[in-house]
Amino acid sequence: MKPGIRRRSSPVRLLLGALLALAVPWWWARLRVEQLQNPAVLTGWWLFATMLFLAAFNARKKLSVIPLGSAAAWLRWHVVGGFLTLALFWLHTGSLWPSGLYEQVLAGLFYLLNLTGMIGWLLQRTYPRMLADTGNEIIFERIPAEIARLRADAEAAVMACVKATGAETLSRHYVETLHWFFCRPRFFASHAFLGSKQARAWVRQQCEPVRRYLGEAERAHLDRLAALAERKLDVDFHYFAQRLMKSWLLVHLPLAAVVVLLAVWHLALIHIYAL
Amino acid sequence: MGRTVSDTTAPAAGPAWSRPQRWDAPFGPDLTDGDVDRLLSRPEIAAIRADRFPAHASLREILRNDTRIVRLRAGDLVVREGDYGNSAFLVLVGKLRVVVAPELPSELLGRQQVHRRNWWQALAQLWRNRDIPEVRSARGTSRETARKDATGKAHRIFLQDIPAVLDRHKTALVAEGAIFGELAALGRVPRTATMFAETDAELLEIRWQGLRDIRRHDEGWRRMIDERYRTTALRSHLRATPLFAQLGEDAIELLTQHTLFETYGAFDWHVSYKQLQAERTGGAEHEPVIARQGDHPDGLLLIRAGFARVTTRLGNGERTLTYLGAGDVYGLAELHDSWRAGEAKPLETSLTAVGYVDLLRVPTHLLETHAFPHLEQTPRRFVTAAERPLAADGLLEWLVDERFINGQRAMLIDLDRCTRCDDCVRACASTHGGNPRFLRAGKTFDHWQVTHACMHCADPVCMIGCPTGAIHRAEHEGTVVINDDTCIGCGTCASSCPYENIVMTIIRDEAGHILRDQRDHEPIVKATKCDLCTSQPGGPACVRACPHEALQRVDFRDLSLLGKESHG
Repeated sequence: MKPGIRRRSSPVRLLLGALLALAVPWWWARLRVEQLQNPAVLTGWWLFATMLFLAAFNARKKLSVIPLGSAAAWLRWHVVGGFLTLALFWLHTGSLWPSGLYEQVLAGLFYLLNLTGMIGWLLQRTYPRMLADTGNEIIFERIPAEIARLRADAEAAVMACVKATGAETLSRHYVETLHWFFCRPRFFASHAFLGSKQARAWVRQQCEPVRRYLGEAERAHLDRLAALAERKLDVDFHYFAQRLMKSWLLVHLPLAAVVVLLAVWHLALIHIYAL
Repeated sequence: MGRTVSDTTAPAAGPAWSRPQRWDAPFGPDLTDGDVDRLLSRPEIAAIRADRFPAHASLREILRNDTRIVRLRAGDLVVREGDYGNSAFLVLVGKLRVVVAPELPSELLGRQQVHRRNWWQALAQLWRNRDIPEVRSARGTSRETARKDATGKAHRIFLQDIPAVLDRHKTALVAEGAIFGELAALGRVPRTATMFAETDAELLEIRWQGLRDIRRHDEGWRRMIDERYRTTALRSHLRATPLFAQLGEDAIELLTQHTLFETYGAFDWHVSYKQLQAERTGGAEHEPVIARQGDHPDGLLLIRAGFARVTTRLGNGERTLTYLGAGDVYGLAELHDSWRAGEAKPLETSLTAVGYVDLLRVPTHLLETHAFPHLEQTPRRFVTAAERPLAADGLLEWLVDERFINGQRAMLIDLDRCTRCDDCVRACASTHGGNPRFLRAGKTFDHWQVTHACMHCADPVCMIGCPTGAIHRAEHEGTVVINDDTCIGCGTCASSCPYENIVMTIIRDEAGHILRDQRDHEPIVKATKCDLCTSQPGGPACVRACPHEALQRVDFRDLSLLGKESHG
C-alpha cells in the first residue's frame, strides 16, 4: 500500500525533445556545408543558446514567486540539455578535443562542468534513499545542536556510571576514544563513499572490547553509550550526505559561470576576426 | 485548576497529581450563584425536568460550568455563516437578526478577501519583499474590524452600519427565548447563517458538553433539537446518499422520521489526541466502539461528520481495514445479506470512532422495505481488505493512528527523492514576506514524511473557538486561511491544532522593530500557517519549487491514494 504520488515525468517526450534539439542543428549544418558555408557558426550559437537555457535553471530557482513552470520540469530539461550540449559540442568542434590553447581550456572546463553535473545528478539519485533508510530524519542546520546533545547525553551516561558504581573504567575509555567520536562529525570518507561500514565497525570495536572489564552495572551504561553512538553514526551520515548534496553545486555553479563567460569571449573573438 | 502538585509524602512514587475533572475549567468562570438562579427561573430552562439529571451532573452544575453569559452591543456579530463552533445560544435579553439573503460580504464578516495576483504583481514581489520578515504596515494593523464586547473581555467583529445592513439584506428577527446554533455545535458542521445583535443583548452560551447532557436527559430539548435537525438538514442528507437516490418523496419522508442521531468520541478530540501522543498510545483499542464484530446490526450507519475506523480482530489486536469519513456507510453488506438470506447475519468487522464521529442510524426494516429492492449491485465488503498481506498495513495504520486522514491538502514528502535542498522552504519564504509558513520536519513512516504544514483538514478543529473568526475557510476551494487584520494573536487556533501546524509569530514594523502592545509592552503576535499560496498565481510555491517531485499536497481521503477499499 503506497501513496500514489503523481509523477509528471515523460521519458518519451524528453527523448523526442532532445532528438529534435540535436537533429535541427545537425540538418542545418549539413545544409550549410552543401552551400559551402561554415557550419561551426550555426552549431556554436546553438550550443551557446542551449548553455544559456541550462544556466537559466538557477534563475528559475531564485524566481519562485513567478509561475515559470515547475522546477521538476526545469530539472528534467536541464539534465537532457546537459547531455545535449555534449553532442552539440562534438558537432561544433568536429572532435573530442579541439586544437588551440584557449579552446582547449574552454573544452576542459566544459567537460568538467558536465562531469560535476553528472556527479550531482548521481548524488541526488543515490543519497536520499540511503538517508531515508536510516529511519532518522534531521535538518542539516540542526545537526551541530544534535551532536552537542548526543555528546552531553554520552557524558551524562559516563558520569552516571562513575557515580553509581564508583568504577572509572568506562570514563577512562570514553576519554581515550569515544570522546573524540562525539566531538564532531567523523568518518567522512566512510559515510560519503563506503556505505558507513568502517564507521560502524569502529564504533563496535570501541564498545565491545571494553565490556570484559566492566561489571554488570557498568555494562548497562556501556549499552546506553553504544545506543548513543549508533544514533551519532546516523547523524554523521546525514551530515556528510546532505553536505555533499549541497556542496557539489558550489563547484558546478561557478564552473557554469566561467564556461559561459569564456564562451561569450570566444564568440566575440570569432565575430571580431570574421569582420 | 487541572493539575496541582500534591504535598503527599508517599515514598518513591514521584509527585502525585490530582486527576483532572470535567469542570476544572468552567466555561464561564464569572458566573455567580445569583446568575444560575436567574437562569433556572427562565421559562426555557424552568421547563427542563431537573430531577431527570444524575447527581454528578445536575442541571444546576451544568448551568454553572458549561454555560456563560455573553453580553453584546448593537452590531456585534454572534455567529458567522461558515464558522465552526462548539456552542449553542439562548437569547436572554435583546433582539438579534439572522441574515437570510443575500449573504453579508466577506469584509463585513472580518474575513480575508483573497485576490490572486497576476503575473506582473507576482514579479513585483521580487523588489517589494523586504529583508525583514513578518512586517506589517500601519494600514494593515490599524483596521478596526474587531472590538471588545460588552464585558470588555472578548473580541467581536461588529457591523458598523446596522440600518444599511437591514436595508440591503433580508433578515429575520430572533427574539428573546430563541435557541440557535445547536446543530453546528452537536453536528460538527459549519454554521449555516450569520447572526448579529440588533440591540444590546444578553445571550446564554451553552458549550457542547452541556448541550449534549441537556439533550440526553430532557425529553423536551431532545425533541426540539432532533426536530430541527430533521426539518433542516436530514432530508437533504438522505437525499444525497447514493443508496437512497431511487427512493420517492414518501419513502424519504419515512426515513427522515425514523432515523436516529448518534455521536461518539469527544468533540474536542484534539485534546485527548495530544494526550495519546504524549503517552505514545494509539490504535483502535483506545477508541470508542460504535459497532462490534460479531454483533447483529440493527440499522445502517451513515457517517455525517468525523472519521471512523473499520477493524477486524487479528491475534491479540485489531487490524485496520479502512477508514470512513463523511458520506460513507457501514453495515450495508451484512444487512443486505440478512435480507437476502432471511436470517440475521453478524457484523464482519468492528467500527470505532477516530476522534469524533457524528452518525445517522437508519432502521433495518425501512431499508428492507424501501432501499434493498432497488439495490442493483451487491455491496462491497470491508472484510475483503483483510486479504492483503499484513506487511502492507503499516502505512494505513500509521495514517489513521496519527489522524493524518483528516488532511485534505497535507504536505507529503517522499524521502527517497527529497535531497533536503530546502528549495521548497525558500520558495515558501519568498512568497510569504520572507518567513516560511511550514517546517520541513514531521512524523515519518518508511520513506514518507508528513511535514508541519497546514493540512486544510476536513475537520478543522483549529477553527473552533477563534474569537473573531479570523481563521476560516476561503469561499472558493475550501482552503483554511487566516485574516491577518482580524487575528488578535490569542493563540487559540495554534493550541487547538493537533498537528502543531500553526505558529504564533512576532510581527515587526517597516523599520524592523518588534511591534509591542501599548499597555503591557508584550510583543504582538499573529497566527501564521500555510495558505496554499491562494494569492499566488500557479498554486503552492513549495510544490512548484521541488526539482525532484518529492513534495506533493495530498488528500488522504482519496480512496485511490492509499489503496483504501471503496464500498457500497
